[in-house]
Amino acid sequence: MSILTTTDLGIAFATESGTVDAVRGVSLHVEPGETLALVGESGSGKSTVALAAMGLLSGNATVSGSAVVDGHEVVDAAEPALRKLRGSTVSMVFQEPATALDPLTRVGAQIAEVIRNHGDVSASDAAARAVDLLDRVGIPSPAARAKAFPFQLSGGQRQRVVIAMAIANAPKLLIADEPTTALDVTVQAEILELLRRLAADTGTGVLLVTHNMGVVADFADRVAVMLQGEIVETGGVEDVLLRPRHEYTKRLLAAVPRLAVAPAGAAATGGSGPVASAGPVASAGPVASAGPVASSGDPDGRPGAAPVVDLRDVSVTFGRGARAVHALQGIDIAVHAGETVGLVGESGSGKSTAARVALGLIKPTSGSVHLFGSDLRTARGRDRRALRSGIGVVLQDPVASLDARMSVAECIAEPLAVHRRGMSSADRRKRIDEVLDAVRLPRTLASRAPRELSGGQRQRVSLARALVLSPRLLVADEPTSALDVSVQETVLEVLRELQDDLGFACLFVSHDLAVVQQFAERVVVMRQGVIEEQGTTDTTLLHPTTDYTRRLLAAVPVPDPVLQRRRRADRLATLAAVDA
Amino acid sequence: MSTALYLTRRVLQALAVVLIVTIVVFCLLHALPGGPARGVLGVSATPAQITAFNQAQGLDQPLPVQYVRFLGRLLTGDLGTSYTLNEPVGQLIAERLPKTLVLTGISAVLGLVIAIPVGMWQAARRNGAVDYAATALAFVFYSTPAFFLGLVLIIVFSQQLPWLPSQAPSGNTLAEVFQDPAGLVLPVVTGALAMIAVFSRYMRASTLENLQEDYVRTARAGGASTATILRRHVFRNSLTPVVAMLGYYLPVLFGGALVTEQLFNYPGMGLLFWNAAQTSDYPTLLGCVLVISIATVVGTLLADVAQSLIDPRVKASRA
Amino acid sequence: MTAQLAPEAPGAASLVQPVAATGWRLAVRRFRHNTLAVIGLAVIVVIVLFCFVGPFLYPTDQTHTQLSQANLGPSAAHWLGTDAVGHDVLGRLMFGGKVSLTVGIAAGILATVVGTLWGSVAGYVGGWVDAVMMRVVDAGIAIPALFILLVISAITTPGVGGLIVILGFVSWLVPSRLIRAETLTLKNRDYVLTLRAIGGSHARAIGRHLLPNSVSTIVVAATFQVADAILLVAYVSYLGLGVQAPATDWGGMLSAGLTAAYSGRWWLIVPPGLAVILVVCAFNAVGDGLRDAFDVRGR
Repeated sequence: MSILTTTDLGIAFATESGTVDAVRGVSLHVEPGETLALVGESGSGKSTVALAAMGLLSGNATVSGSAVVDGHEVVDAAEPALRKLRGSTVSMVFQEPATALDPLTRVGAQIAEVIRNHGDVSASDAAARAVDLLDRVGIPSPAARAKAFPFQLSGGQRQRVVIAMAIANAPKLLIADEPTTALDVTVQAEILELLRRLAADTGTGVLLVTHNMGVVADFADRVAVMLQGEIVETGGVEDVLLRPRHEYTKRLLAAVPRLAVAPAGAAATGGSGPVASAGPVASAGPVASAGPVASSGDPDGRPGAAPVVDLRDVSVTFGRGARAVHALQGIDIAVHAGETVGLVGESGSGKSTAARVALGLIKPTSGSVHLFGSDLRTARGRDRRALRSGIGVVLQDPVASLDARMSVAECIAEPLAVHRRGMSSADRRKRIDEVLDAVRLPRTLASRAPRELSGGQRQRVSLARALVLSPRLLVADEPTSALDVSVQETVLEVLRELQDDLGFACLFVSHDLAVVQQFAERVVVMRQGVIEEQGTTDTTLLHPTTDYTRRLLAAVPVPDPVLQRRRRADRLATLAAVDA
Repeated sequence: MSTALYLTRRVLQALAVVLIVTIVVFCLLHALPGGPARGVLGVSATPAQITAFNQAQGLDQPLPVQYVRFLGRLLTGDLGTSYTLNEPVGQLIAERLPKTLVLTGISAVLGLVIAIPVGMWQAARRNGAVDYAATALAFVFYSTPAFFLGLVLIIVFSQQLPWLPSQAPSGNTLAEVFQDPAGLVLPVVTGALAMIAVFSRYMRASTLENLQEDYVRTARAGGASTATILRRHVFRNSLTPVVAMLGYYLPVLFGGALVTEQLFNYPGMGLLFWNAAQTSDYPTLLGCVLVISIATVVGTLLADVAQSLIDPRVKASRA
Repeated sequence: MTAQLAPEAPGAASLVQPVAATGWRLAVRRFRHNTLAVIGLAVIVVIVLFCFVGPFLYPTDQTHTQLSQANLGPSAAHWLGTDAVGHDVLGRLMFGGKVSLTVGIAAGILATVVGTLWGSVAGYVGGWVDAVMMRVVDAGIAIPALFILLVISAITTPGVGGLIVILGFVSWLVPSRLIRAETLTLKNRDYVLTLRAIGGSHARAIGRHLLPNSVSTIVVAATFQVADAILLVAYVSYLGLGVQAPATDWGGMLSAGLTAAYSGRWWLIVPPGLAVILVVCAFNAVGDGLRDAFDVRGR
């Protein structure tokens, strides 16, 4: 018998702006011991289906159809009945480990609470079992850690605690809603490994909700693809990912940036030629070679030309004494005219700090920053402002990057108001239209307010604003990380075209190695404030020289299940060899 | 950050605040008609005496020097002499302050004990009939001037229904005051009602915010009931900002005590202050201002310490 | 790295509400649905009309005493009776209301303006300037307002203008904390960082971004400040700091009628007391409604 069966499930929400049909006619099933991945972009309704299976939808939801968990109907079920199921028959792991735990209760107590919710267990027994669970999810020194508060644990550790709470009562169905989206890629690999092992050990069925195709390839047995509330395709993971049938699935897979991977040393993978591209290559997308052709040749060999931005031996320290945080430690980064440099690393690597130093937003504690040849420390007043006018900035959050009180035209024209005050309004209007064309947005958007735009459109407006002064350097800090994959594809295409046309240099910060591989000619790998290695994208990302970079690359899941299985085996073998 | 470091930092900040208060009081002292000379010599001082005093005391010295001397006097507990009662102000305050603290303390405790559960309950039953009723009542009570409220209570409970006395028990010591607890009821209730109104709103808002948090969803996913979640998780998380608010509400509480003591003739510091104002007894006035402000600063400090005890993150991150 | 995935189709209703995008229309709609707030607004309008237009419809003499008419209960001639010197109470209510409302509203706005300036400068500049400015605010908050007012009353008796300044002076502290908090949040928004990175000035950041985005917080703070100020005006007359006879305000009426209340002449204190409660309540309800409509945190 299936552990979860939904039949024609429909969910509608009553909001301030009317009724929203989030889910329509969704029928799926999860068998014991198998993992079903529910994939889709934002607004697809996948998280809503997951919450419905737990009876955790908000009060303004109306549910139709049926959802049966281990024989119990969940739709419109009474609260006491649902409470008996939650945490014992079916449990859930959520996306944000930072806020998922009660900040004022120790983690051991929170796990014990779940145990005691479903059985007459004494406090001391529950506490002991909590320690066992912490051990099972891989937390070192579990007895001591049980007494810790959530803020004393890292993101990955907090997620492990949430998983411990979820498996505490040996549930038959585990629902994981984007369980690794908020985590670093290496931590993500560990958490996925943990979930897979736990599910396999106990024969638990897993409903995995995610937007990441690589995670799907790594973990799932079957896949259901959702688009705007409906399921458009279902099937085994290899069928759906390697031989998609529905148009949307094909488009979605084509838009995913593929990490080209070199065959691992001894455990040589197959594939055509020395470089195995990770799946069907889209026509307008990445080329089989791993990086774009550098438009200005090999920068290392260029004689004499000063770099556009040059960080020399820069260190940045926040705070003092014992609590000092060394965000950057003596790093050297240079970006030359016309080239794109990708800055990659996990959280805490200092990549965003480095970008902000290049922008002049953070003053380095030591070392120097040269912008267009001039030292930022000595440049003053008008000279300094003139330097700044050569920079364009695009930041991560599409909502916060534009002032909601200004129209799109005003947002884009702001750099003009700062640096070209003498410009006539007709000229300004013309320039705004020009940049809107360049980012492929309709000119009519100029009079709209940012809240009427989608995330991708907002990021393109941000890009237009960055270009309005014809900058020589564009600094982009995770410009597409908050966007859906298909939207990301458009924005990156636009960015690439613009760079080909206008020839500006670009400092591109990202945690997504696949994106950086497509986009940058040189890449700088950072870790805890230090540069691990740097070089051309081809060399560094296909044939890394440091262990860290190798581990980083090995941890990125690729959307090809066959290839991913091999990568995973290789990775585990490497880790085992290290431990042995 | 360790507790010791956190505490030291907070104490230093509190001291800075107290210092600024002394500057304010000092400025007021010098803005008075007659100046500080009157404060020491009394109302009946002749101009000649004043000039002599000024010279002897160095009141022709630059202000900063005088301020330092003023601070020095404060540190020895010399707050001047009352014009009307001819006693050292410090002594008067020392007699009266405990009574005021007791009255406000009881009002505060009563207020919190009622406000916190009411606020939480309102949040759990949001937009129900009881929530609206309680909200409306809260609005009315914190829009009512304390003296009007007290007056109404007196008329209803002392005149129309002769249940309670309209005057607080008089007496010089705390023990005497406590001999007639019935007389304390109306003053305490007057102070507590406004506090209940304000803090039930705070608690309601804080609880509502916490109910939206992710950890509530995690607890619910683990099978906990709403009652359990409120009790075990939401309560403590909602309490933290409310405790912080307590520090800021202290001055309001003391201000209210001023009016209440006058209305009910309660022999505390508020009444002393009131009488001093009627007779332009400046030394007493300023001495009271200083002492009550210090009491508030200390109270805020204690509230912060309490907050750091409830919430272990406060020590780790707060400035 | 947390993916707050924005909805793709423009204007599509989504479960994720954009942060800074509460348009005016949405705010107005939310306000209209808040019964208490709407009632509050209506009450304010009615009472303002009552105080300022009322005397034309119900003219009474509020300057000359008429001892022969003193202490009469409510009747057809005097709807709310007369006070100890013969003034018609209903008329006095309108007359006093003008002062209470004018002083209250003006003082509330003054307090908000000063508080906004102080708080935004402290929040924006940061560092030790912020620390010092906030310690001053802490000191001001530590001294109970009523105490300061009573001290001032022992020194001088101000006119209406002086009263507004004094009340504003004791009230600007709380809004300054609110605006400082708002400024701290706003100055780290991406659009401000972008502006600074490309060379925008501090003045531009404050004038074009920080202040316009703080408007909703400021308006809400101002509404609550007016409510507090009107309440404070009532206290102030009770403390003896109020306007001189024959002018009066509601607090003054309460103060004058205090002893009479014990002897059963309820019409001397109930009307002004209720008037104060009603108006302050109404402003608080409107402030609450505005805050929910704009989705402003704090207070």
